[in-house]
Amino acid sequence: MSNNGISIQTLGLNKTFGAIQAVRNLDLEVASGGRFGFLGPNGAGKTTTVRMLSGLMKPTSGTATVLGMDIVQKAGEIKSMTGLLPETPGLYSKLSAIEFLEFIGALNNLEGESLRRRIDSLLTMLGLESRQDDLLDTYSSGMKQKVLVASTILHEPRLVFLDEPTSRLDPSAGALVKDLIHVLAEETETTFFICTHQTSFAEDACDIVGIINDGVLVTVGSPEEIVASTKTKDLEDAYLKIVGGQIDRSKLLAWR
Amino acid sequence: MTRKWYHIAKAEFFVLTAGMRKHRKAMAGLMFALAAIWAIYLAPLIINTFIQLIIPMETIRTLLMVMFPGLMRTVMLFLWALLLLFPLSFSLQEIKIGQWEIFLSNNVKTRDILTGTFVGKIPMYGLIVMVFAPLLISPFMLAFEVSLLGQAVVYTVIALMVLSTIWLSNFITAMVQARLGDSARGNDIAKALSVVIALIVIVPMYGLMFFMPQLSDILGMNAFLVMPFTWPADLVSWAAITFNGIGLTGSQILGFGAILQLDMLTSALLMAAFGLAFVPIAITAADRVFTISAGVRTETVTTVGRENIFIRGVRRVAKGPFGALTVVSLKDYGRKAQNLSKIFYGVVLAIILPILMQQMSIMDGDVFEVETLLPMITIMIGVVGVFPFAGTGFLESKDQLWIIRSAPKGASRFMRARIATGFMMAVPLSLAPTLAMTFMFGLTPLTAIQIFITSFVVVCGAVMVAMGVTAQNPNYEDTKSSAHQTVLMTSMMLTQFTLIGPLFATIFLDIGLGFNLFGFMESIFGISGFYVVEMLLGPTALLLVGGLMLYLGTRSLGKVEV
Repeated sequence: MSNNGISIQTLGLNKTFGAIQAVRNLDLEVASGGRFGFLGPNGAGKTTTVRMLSGLMKPTSGTATVLGMDIVQKAGEIKSMTGLLPETPGLYSKLSAIEFLEFIGALNNLEGESLRRRIDSLLTMLGLESRQDDLLDTYSSGMKQKVLVASTILHEPRLVFLDEPTSRLDPSAGALVKDLIHVLAEETETTFFICTHQTSFAEDACDIVGIINDGVLVTVGSPEEIVASTKTKDLEDAYLKIVGGQIDRSKLLAWR
Repeated sequence: MTRKWYHIAKAEFFVLTAGMRKHRKAMAGLMFALAAIWAIYLAPLIINTFIQLIIPMETIRTLLMVMFPGLMRTVMLFLWALLLLFPLSFSLQEIKIGQWEIFLSNNVKTRDILTGTFVGKIPMYGLIVMVFAPLLISPFMLAFEVSLLGQAVVYTVIALMVLSTIWLSNFITAMVQARLGDSARGNDIAKALSVVIALIVIVPMYGLMFFMPQLSDILGMNAFLVMPFTWPADLVSWAAITFNGIGLTGSQILGFGAILQLDMLTSALLMAAFGLAFVPIAITAADRVFTISAGVRTETVTTVGRENIFIRGVRRVAKGPFGALTVVSLKDYGRKAQNLSKIFYGVVLAIILPILMQQMSIMDGDVFEVETLLPMITIMIGVVGVFPFAGTGFLESKDQLWIIRSAPKGASRFMRARIATGFMMAVPLSLAPTLAMTFMFGLTPLTAIQIFITSFVVVCGAVMVAMGVTAQNPNYEDTKSSAHQTVLMTSMMLTQFTLIGPLFATIFLDIGLGFNLFGFMESIFGISGFYVVEMLLGPTALLLVGGLMLYLGTRSLGKVEV
């Protein structure tokens, strides 16, 4: 299972749904311990890529390895070594945070006192200890997102897929998640694959960013390299220049 | 000035006809035209032909005429309950209070909301009534040879009854939705109510059947006369009698008058008064009902307490991740009011079934022997096992499935825990009818144990079928989806046919191959042994089919998406 410092490698990866091509010829490498930001507009193919890489969806063509294992042949092994935070919270509304994390732990073969300790520590770190016994259906969307973040890293995966991890979080919780990603990547060599719309988050949290548009990986590099190559002042401008979406000021009132 | 109620009604109509949105107007027009042809021409023709095939109208006419007033009240009771409770049950499955916020923020008056939602519902329920009412009414129209004018009066009365009932139902629905609010808890309670609402119909109907004479004694009059469904029913009867084409004599009409008690005018006035009374009541109360106040929408934070003795017991017996998953599954299932109401519904049905069967035996003049009814009871218990587990109480969303799938062997671990939960829930579902039958029929302990074991095996088999089928086509708590209907129907049919299957197989073997399997089994096991084997055949087949469904369901749930 040697992966030569590479956590994710894809070669000509394609995914089609009928007439729609969600991902086109994706060639990508993500280094171990790296923080890869996957930027792109809605429907660009980010979530489809994550689902393929995490062994939940078969690619139409092409190959990919995750932690040195083929995503089609070794989907089960990949699942045990990775964590996935889905785009929208799929929580159990009638379980408390502790019970939900116990459920996720049991799904990953964790149990007993060590699991309890880990759950307590994570909930305390995320500031949920006072609400840990409340049912999840009474949580705000930000609190639910925090519980999901905890569930994703609970079994100490070597690679974590985060699909829009901070879209529902307030700024301080977003900063906490960002710091958590930094610490885990630096101290435990955990690799992060982060799908996001938020360019500022990607700029701060990721060392490498890839921009995908209409299923095609348009550019890859560090945020600084992308900003320099597009001759823009920050990643948001670079993103808008690559993907499009800058609207003339006069057009904004044209509807009246 | 814009007619805001009209736009709300239009939106409601668009929602109802979303399935045919490309040719909405043409399709809706066609459906109503077909329904009209059906009601005026086809239904009477078919029913007349059908009646003539069985018994000539001349022979059955007197019987139909005698039955008419009483049966019309029963028909109207059924229609009234259907129109009142079906929309209520339907809307409770999904609280849509968010729409009210949009209405109110757009300065829409509360009466416009009530009127708009009411008018929007008329086409669909109108169509349902146009299809079903002729089936019930036609035999009597034919028996009395009611003139066209008379038929027009009859259908006008039915239409007015439908309108007033939908208005009342619309008002009650709005009131219940507003009180429950758009909270998780409110939604949960609403879903639970939508399930048990059927019991609210069943129980009073039984009450009416069994206790009407006693109630009449207490009131000193016919208790039916104070029921709102009686007035339109009697009005229909009077219309048929008045516009009859068979030349009813004065004494015959007086005879009907004695049965109906209230004359045509009184019935019409009472019906109109009841229908009209709720218009001002609803409009006046609307402002109070539609207030989306902080009180209604404030969430109640529910904190879980210490695990109860049962959960601790499960933890002690089932250790490791499987035990933890089972406990979590039990908590998740048991905390949803909707699931509990389904269990409650199942238990009530399971208790009612043997009573019904006993009543039927008594009515047929047979000697009631519970042992001979066991195969029939097990088939009915199968329904009780399917209902709480098919479609709902499984997965809340597709994202939940992604989480489960992202764990190694997550789907099969999840399924094992869910099945364990289902088997535990099967205990009360099988114990309730056993206890009911034991006390009511004075069964011996041995028979009671026999019934319990058989019921438990059948419920477990039904649970396996329901969960297996659901896993192959999860509907994610959306009880209005086609997936839910398909899952529910498939699970029910599969369970029923599997339980009945061996019996049919034996008949086919006998007819087709001339092999008498039952006779063969009797020669091997003896008569008492044969009864045991016969009773075990269905449940055994159900366990096998359930196992197969579970296998397919687990495989489908854990499959990698293509």
